[in-house]
Amino acid sequence: MDVGTMINTLQDPMGIPFYPILFQVLMVITFALHIMFVNFAIGTISLSVYAYLKGGEYWRQLSKSMARAATSSISMAILLGVAPLLFVQVIYDPFWYVSNTLSAAWVIGFILILMTAYSLTYVFYLKRDSKSNSFAIFGIIAFAFFIFAGVIMHALGYQLLQPEKWLDWYVRGNTADTSGVSLHAFQLSRFLHFIVPSFAMAGILLMLYAWYFKDRNDKDKEYLQWAGKMGANMAFVFTAIQAAVGFWWLLSLPSEFRFFLDPFFLIGAGLGIVLLVYLYSARKDPVRYAVPGILLAFLTILGMSYTRESLRMKYLGRFDYSIFNYKLNLDYGSTLLFLSTFVVGLVIAGYLLSVAYKSGKTAGEYVPTPSMNRWGKVSIALLLIWIAIVAGLGIAISVKNYL
Amino acid sequence: MYPIWEVPNLSAGIILGIIATFHILPSHLSVSAMWFNLYVETKAYRENRPEYLEFIKKYTLLLLVFAYVLGSLSGVGIWYSATVANPRGLSGLIHNYVWGWAAEWVFFIVEVVGIFVYYYTLNKVDIKTHLKIGWIFAIASWITMIIITGILSFMLSPGKWPQTGNFFDGFFNQTYWSQLFVRTTVMFGIGAGYAIAVSARLKNDDVRKLVVKTASRWGIAGLVLGALAVQWYLKALPENAHGLLGSIVPKGLKTGMVVSFSAMILYFVYAHIKPLTIRIVPAVLAIAVLFVGIWSAERMREIIRKPYVISHYMYSNQIIGSDVRSKGVKAEADLINERGILKIAPFVPSGLRDINEGNKLQAGKMIAIIECSSCHVLDENGLRSLPKMMKGLGFKDAEVVEGFLDALGGYLHMPPFYGTAAEKKALAAYLVSLNK
Repeated sequence: MDVGTMINTLQDPMGIPFYPILFQVLMVITFALHIMFVNFAIGTISLSVYAYLKGGEYWRQLSKSMARAATSSISMAILLGVAPLLFVQVIYDPFWYVSNTLSAAWVIGFILILMTAYSLTYVFYLKRDSKSNSFAIFGIIAFAFFIFAGVIMHALGYQLLQPEKWLDWYVRGNTADTSGVSLHAFQLSRFLHFIVPSFAMAGILLMLYAWYFKDRNDKDKEYLQWAGKMGANMAFVFTAIQAAVGFWWLLSLPSEFRFFLDPFFLIGAGLGIVLLVYLYSARKDPVRYAVPGILLAFLTILGMSYTRESLRMKYLGRFDYSIFNYKLNLDYGSTLLFLSTFVVGLVIAGYLLSVAYKSGKTAGEYVPTPSMNRWGKVSIALLLIWIAIVAGLGIAISVKNYL
Repeated sequence: MYPIWEVPNLSAGIILGIIATFHILPSHLSVSAMWFNLYVETKAYRENRPEYLEFIKKYTLLLLVFAYVLGSLSGVGIWYSATVANPRGLSGLIHNYVWGWAAEWVFFIVEVVGIFVYYYTLNKVDIKTHLKIGWIFAIASWITMIIITGILSFMLSPGKWPQTGNFFDGFFNQTYWSQLFVRTTVMFGIGAGYAIAVSARLKNDDVRKLVVKTASRWGIAGLVLGALAVQWYLKALPENAHGLLGSIVPKGLKTGMVVSFSAMILYFVYAHIKPLTIRIVPAVLAIAVLFVGIWSAERMREIIRKPYVISHYMYSNQIIGSDVRSKGVKAEADLINERGILKIAPFVPSGLRDINEGNKLQAGKMIAIIECSSCHVLDENGLRSLPKMMKGLGFKDAEVVEGFLDALGGYLHMPPFYGTAAEKKALAAYLVSLNK
């Protein structure tokens, strides 16, 4: 069986309920958000451990803030990882499922490793006071486990690009290796390209930290300035390293791709260079550069994520696979359900984040403005309306089908 | 057909079962806890009793750490384990219900952002705003149940979907409402169980009394209404499921449900009479007892779905059993019977694609891996072990086994054997070889 036939046989016969481009765009955007929080998580936990070991007033304070940022970043990373995980199975199902089943034991291991790492992060955050330096071991193990989880995810993502090797990985003579205990593919430059930005993003987070608390009178101004400066330096240095890693990865790609001419790559790399120059200037005044800095960094991550998607299309195009040929079984009803739910979700999450943002900026108790109160009421009303519409639809369908 | 993952003595399906079962504990906490918080917080606000907030802080931290560390990861874990245990089944679900899951994910965002904001803004925003955040979390969390119940119940009873292929026809199927009602009522029982455990760590006895007394009332109401809703659910089950309920569902599961229910009712009654006597250890044990009941119910729901992973569409062994014309999907029986499973499945050693005397046993084993291993381990011991079954049935003659394979489809819980005559012979020879 040739590889092309194999992929066709594997593809789900149900087809997809909407045009593939929508799934691709959603997959790439949500992946970019996901990997940004993965970077925040890895960056903050490592910085927190480093600061804890350094000791002293500023470092300890920084360590605590970073550990707290790590707990919420991990949660956001998990949350935002769900969406690309869903969408990749919609448009790249043959590749994703084969890669996973070939390394099944590691797929389960990934979950257990993350559970351990996340629990240890909480231990490191909640139980840290009045402990000696050896307590850092919880943070160190958590960090190591997160990196290990990254190795597994990297292998799964890289194995799926190589369908020509799948059978060799699964078959030994006349028997099948059904143990799933091996990871089959690893590319250091590609892996590092996901990890190195963690330290740059932690730097940008520090800049934001200094910016966010600048108006709070109960915060130590000098400390904030110190943190912001260090953040800007970290962001610049690690973005420069990231650029070097990126070129290393580029050079190791199959030459027939001529990927250096790929338009997505050119946009992604261009954004990366702009970011680097921007961060060079940001070191003068980290607070002023913080907000545009994070926006530019996210834009760069998004550009790079689409670049990676374009690279995937190049890899899989070798076997004539294109998501744009996926069988369509259009379902407008459920597509509309999602899109309207998405808008509702943005309004509500926006309200919650605004409350958090404003209360964090206030030293005492935050009392909301009337417009914030209205936003809160609208959020609750939207949830109730959602339930009413869906329940109404459900009752109508149940009556039609069963009465 | 994707590569198969075998887990010695257990099977991949059991790994999925273990993770999914564990997930019940944090996920049901997540949907129920905030309703209780809202009640206590509103009381604190109306009666000006700020000391009640001690409970809110503790209960929310449990929710934050337990439900959103272990809960969200085990939820993702269900997906991952389904991916490696039954990729075609999961793919079938996703290609129908992607937008359902995506909508659920939106509410998951609201939940996660909501719980962090709720926890970290306690005493930092005015109480009315804080209550609003609580309401948003509670309702969004319940909506995730509204959605996932549609997909879960679809797997057992797809309603009119096999004819129409319509998202909502499958979603609002004949067991949807009753199952939603069961989950919604029982979640109050679960939330109550956790609340009592948290209250054991409270310093203020007045607050403890209030929490335990209220929780025990909620617990009793939730479980009693849940038990009634279970009767409704059982009535709504499809015929095949009823047959399986009376035949292959182990008695232990039914006993587990009844014992857990009765014990929990007694526990709540006792807690109501003597609220201050409940300590942390018995309270955690009570959660374990409750867990036994839920576990029994969920296992039962899984078992009565046999022989399908998606009822009336795909068998447990990932073979498509029926046409879904509206989606242009054809059953695979004819194709497999004509060409052979070893020919059409991509992940088969090339030396086994054509069966001969030399490779017959290996080919038979490969067929067993593809068609049987999702429910039966091939090891001597373990889950529905094939060697044990062959010994138990005393099969020594390949022809008899062939007859048995022909009759498989007659059992309520077994998918039929699909394959060519040569493949049937090979599988029979392999099965007989296990009885040695």
